[in-house]
Amino acid sequence: MYEVFEHTADLGLRIHAATLEDLCADAARGLGAVITGDLEQIRPSAEERFHIAGTDPVWLLYDFISEVHAAFEIRRMLFCDFQVSRDADGLNAIAHGEPYDPAVHTLAHEVKAITQHELDVRHDAVGWHATVIVDI
Amino acid sequence: MTKPLSSLTQASERSFTGPLEPVDDCTWRIPKSYKRGMLVDGLIFADERLIPLLRSDRAPEQVANVAFLPGIQQASLAMPDIHWGYGFCIGGVCATDPAAGGVVSPGGVGYDINCGVRLVRTNLTLADVQPVLTQLVDQMIHDIPVGVGQGGNFVFSPDELRSLMREGVPFLARQGLATADDIACTEAEGCIPGAYPEYVSERALVRGADQCGTVGAGNHFIEVQVVDRVENDPVAAAFGLHAGQICVLIHSGSRGLGYQVCDDALRALRDAPAKYGFNLPDRQLVCAPVESPEGKHYLGAMRAAANYAFCNRQLLMWHVRHVFARIFSRSWEALGMDLLYDVAHNMAKIEEHTVGGDRKDVCVHRKGATRAFPAGHHDIPERYRHIGQPVIIPGDMGRASWVLVGGPRALERSFGTTCHGAGRCLSRTAATKAARGRNIRDELLKQSGVVARCRSHEGLAEEQPAAYKDVDVVVDVVHRAGLSLKVARLKPLGVIKG
Repeated sequence: MYEVFEHTADLGLRIHAATLEDLCADAARGLGAVITGDLEQIRPSAEERFHIAGTDPVWLLYDFISEVHAAFEIRRMLFCDFQVSRDADGLNAIAHGEPYDPAVHTLAHEVKAITQHELDVRHDAVGWHATVIVDI
Repeated sequence: MTKPLSSLTQASERSFTGPLEPVDDCTWRIPKSYKRGMLVDGLIFADERLIPLLRSDRAPEQVANVAFLPGIQQASLAMPDIHWGYGFCIGGVCATDPAAGGVVSPGGVGYDINCGVRLVRTNLTLADVQPVLTQLVDQMIHDIPVGVGQGGNFVFSPDELRSLMREGVPFLARQGLATADDIACTEAEGCIPGAYPEYVSERALVRGADQCGTVGAGNHFIEVQVVDRVENDPVAAAFGLHAGQICVLIHSGSRGLGYQVCDDALRALRDAPAKYGFNLPDRQLVCAPVESPEGKHYLGAMRAAANYAFCNRQLLMWHVRHVFARIFSRSWEALGMDLLYDVAHNMAKIEEHTVGGDRKDVCVHRKGATRAFPAGHHDIPERYRHIGQPVIIPGDMGRASWVLVGGPRALERSFGTTCHGAGRCLSRTAATKAARGRNIRDELLKQSGVVARCRSHEGLAEEQPAAYKDVDVVVDVVHRAGLSLKVARLKPLGVIKG
């Protein structure tokens, strides 16, 4: 799950999940919700794959959602669903969504970037938790 | 499970409870003893009216964090429009000494490199514009690309983009899209020297290919304004301003290209703190010595993005001139649509300043802060040099904006810097919540007579006047502090936003 929290000029995402893989998937969905305001309007008609090399959970999550953001900025792809797995090399994700179509989709925010301010990924007895602030 | 966008956190999480010691009636100190690792004090320009707002978010903590940056000179500074940013606060100023291992930090510039404003004069009056105001604003939002996902009318090949980033506004002049006067009235004459477009990534080029000449979203806008009152007649006259005159304010930056340059730099500098042995309290403050290969690489790319931003605002002004020409059936030259000045808000520049009695080159980071050089400074355009640098302060879309002039104490107190706007006081989520069930567009028209056109519902809700501090109070502080002095107040008439 993710929640959007208050930040004076920008928007923050707090994410909680049982596994690091689900944490990354929910963070990417949270980003999509900030951009579009409503993930329900995105149909899972196309598929894209992402690979993020590395082992540090902080940078796996940060690099993954940065790539998902870049997919929108560069190829205008919007995603609503992510299946994330890990192997020894890093993180793999299969994303489902569709290209942005002004006739179909509304956009709520221009996300300039995923910031590293107070970027945090933690693991405790309950599960995994992350904080990410995006620049609006 | 998904929580709605309005989910709120506890206020205590966001407030600053650390020390704020009064220095004088408009300066407050965070002593360097507040946090182990601070190299200098924090100094915030504000008065009693702004202190409750100042304490309401984490911005003062960020002022303290910036004081950790190696080579920082004098103090970690913040302007009265200070609010919570990422890494640096918005309104933050920091100068470092490259000769003393001083660093450059991309977080001290921000993602929107050379976000800034320009003010365009006209020879029109309120009586000329009022009858056609709605038509004018509708034509602006029709003709000028604004909002999320809006590409521009100007599309540049990668080679053209590289030339544009190297040469800045003079490149557009060669295409017939800028005049010699436009160049003269832009900070750094529209071209920061030392730009290295070859340091700008392919991804940044793709993001920037069709965005030069687009407003974007967030707090960016184009506003038709009227000079409401003149506070300093001789300076206003030198700036070509008089009461009742129509002007146009343009606020935008380096768009996706600049955001990507910052993003790339943060990635490239990820291991720099360990390499150089820096102790930093926030990842977003990542930095490298100005004189290091990493520092030079960032500054070369940042200057390229800065030149792109000058060109963006130039092309937006080009659009505005042609909309006015169409509506008023006269050429923009006949309408007197000259550029008063264009000034950057987000930049790191090597400038010569006096520090501790010595003249030295320092790297001045301005993050949501405006250069404000006083009369006589050689970097001011010749036509304004005897008066001082024009400073343009956008307020909010319901109340006012200001034109100021570089103040006598700016060099000594703030490395020649002043505020950049009103500064937010409501978060985006709180502003959206406050706008529920209301029609902000109708309210603006009924309460302030402002014709507002916005591409998204969120844009107007989040940017409503109540989301900002009172710009008159902010400007009053920088005036009393001698950073920049009041010249003229402008009222909004019509605005287009993303």
